[in-house]
Amino acid sequence: MGAVTYPHETVVKFVDYNFVPLKIEITNTALAQQFGVSWTPTILVLDADGKEHYRSVGYLSPEEFIATFQVGKGMFYLGTEQFPEAEAMFEEAITNSPQAHAAPEAIYFMGVTRYKHTHNPKPLNEAYETLKAKYPQSDWTKRAEVWG
Amino acid sequence: MAMEVCWLNDLDKAKEAAKRANKPILLDFFYSQ
Repeated sequence: MGAVTYPHETVVKFVDYNFVPLKIEITNTALAQQFGVSWTPTILVLDADGKEHYRSVGYLSPEEFIATFQVGKGMFYLGTEQFPEAEAMFEEAITNSPQAHAAPEAIYFMGVTRYKHTHNPKPLNEAYETLKAKYPQSDWTKRAEVWG
Repeated sequence: MAMEVCWLNDLDKAKEAAKRANKPILLDFFYSQ
């Protein structure tokens, strides 16, 4: 991550605009144990109280990093019930990075966000139909089958 | 001039900064070889 992804200009701007960036060596066993981290890279999204809202394990290219942490920030907003902001982040990932691994995850949680915001189950069905049409092989499509 | 992410290295300072900026924290656990 340090050699390719973090020096990428688009990633620098994305991280600076969206997050407070914090790097901790995994040899800091107290924090590694506190967050249950045993492998690197492991990247978490936390709120200002230190509560975890999202986790990614393993290397991400610059393009995948941005889409993944658009979803990660969306999950922060979803977890803190800031629903319009969550929708906006998931929409960015869906629109800007349709080829990214995180795109079907963004569609899944867009459905969840709209459902939690409105208590109307229709967005869950819409999310499943979109996943089935665009990402039939995705794990997220299988996870959404019950919404069909 | 090369751009780089300005990482903090202290969780409590990151929490304070997150409160002030109303942003989430991106916490990267890394291994320095």
